[in-house]
Amino acid sequence: MSGDLAYLGLAEAAELIRAKKRSPVEYTTALLARIERHDGKYNAFIALTPERALKAARVAEAEITAGRWRGPFHGVPYALKDIIDVEGLPTTAHSRILMGNIARRHAVVTERLEAAGGVLLGKLSTHEFAIGGPSFDLPWPPARNPWNRDHFCGGSSSGSGAGLAAGFFPAALGTDTGGSIRNPASMCGITGMKPTYGRVSRRGVAPLAFSLDHIGPMTRTVRDNALMLQVIAGHDPCDPGSADEPVPDYGALLGQDVRGLRIGVIRHFYTKDIVGNPEQVEALDAAVKLLAESGAEISEITLPALQDFSACGQIILAAEAYAVHEQWLKERPEDYGARARERLLAGAALRAVDYLQAVRWRLQLRDRVTKEFASIDLAITASSMDPACRIDDDEALAANYWRQARMPFNITGQPGLVIPAGFSKDGLPLSLQLAGHPFGEAMLYRVAQFYEDATGWTKRHPPELSD
Amino acid sequence: MTQELRDKARALGLDRLTGEHLKQFERATTAMDRHLKRLPRDLQPAREPAHVYRAKGEPP
Repeated sequence: MSGDLAYLGLAEAAELIRAKKRSPVEYTTALLARIERHDGKYNAFIALTPERALKAARVAEAEITAGRWRGPFHGVPYALKDIIDVEGLPTTAHSRILMGNIARRHAVVTERLEAAGGVLLGKLSTHEFAIGGPSFDLPWPPARNPWNRDHFCGGSSSGSGAGLAAGFFPAALGTDTGGSIRNPASMCGITGMKPTYGRVSRRGVAPLAFSLDHIGPMTRTVRDNALMLQVIAGHDPCDPGSADEPVPDYGALLGQDVRGLRIGVIRHFYTKDIVGNPEQVEALDAAVKLLAESGAEISEITLPALQDFSACGQIILAAEAYAVHEQWLKERPEDYGARARERLLAGAALRAVDYLQAVRWRLQLRDRVTKEFASIDLAITASSMDPACRIDDDEALAANYWRQARMPFNITGQPGLVIPAGFSKDGLPLSLQLAGHPFGEAMLYRVAQFYEDATGWTKRHPPELSD
Repeated sequence: MTQELRDKARALGLDRLTGEHLKQFERATTAMDRHLKRLPRDLQPAREPAHVYRAKGEPP
């Protein structure tokens, strides 16, 4: 397959399909062939659905030919993390616990993507129940990093990150409770948005922790990410966490420069609270310098220590996740992989008062952040502190989980966008994270697009997959 | 592994945990204890938790 189709972006594909220069059937067929050829090495997919995909592509092609173009997603292939329901297909959460579980209806996000004319290619690998991984003791192997398959690809939305970097599809959905969209985005050199809490409906998506769960778009480029968020964002009265806020045009600010924008640097996250890998810190410093030289007003801001956000988040996550998993852990503990079982058992002995104190602490933390953000338009900080470690190095994997700055924005519910910020000397992706005001995703896209255009990092693809 | 740990798991209804699972339970509980130690002691009595969390802070 020609590389131009493998790494065709959503926005580019949409233009070509709309202009009838590319056929959705041809595009889908080419991606399916690429997946068949390469995914045995990367395990991005748990289940590929080629017949369903080709049927959807043929329908899209007929509609577009008849002049009924639905919008930029029409006829474009995508894939879903396998905790998101698709009517009639299994949702396994990458776990023995849910083997044989067939979804009876679409998740709201699936409904929206289908209504937009998207072509679902299949369901993607995840850490078990979006919490335990990478694991080699589950019915499916863990996804691997296309930049080096001996390395971790991040998680829990691991198949989404791996598949995008591998050129298997231009868009996917992930979920993020403590960083699970932004971690694979960092490890795989792609773009991942954790939108504001409540921005995207969680209905039909297996919960991990109700008050921390977010669904968001994962793509290779910023523009594509904005297009996908446009499709999935919106109020859902049946999701108790859903926000009844107007959905803006997420592409409205794309192409604008950063002059005059007030950008706060949360430097203590990666130089003091946790000391980041020197290559990662250098990449962040270079990004800040570029933004300053481009006219942004840079200032350093101080938030509570990362360890406070982490502790607060882990207490809440453990309690809420245990509420979901208690019965299975009592009746079928052997059906979990070791990593998920250990993470989930953390909630078993928590006292109700500890959970409540953490929820009260959460508001205190959020208020501190809100106060600091009052004087800035957005913030920049690290996502991961290190490039991807080896997938078979248990010690490094255990450290990797905590060496991150993602949980603060699950705690506050603010949007967090991760984009590529260069490469290590070993050729592994480095990243940066932008954080905005609640419902300020468009501002993050503006700055991210400016940086992407200035650096060109997203134009690089894994050398292992150059054919 | 201590009998105390087995008893603790049993009291929680986790009767089916094997020896390996109990070791995982112990590690998980120890890790959680580290987080719990960071809980602040100075929360004001009137600081009420959000019943349904909202990013913007208003009650539903």
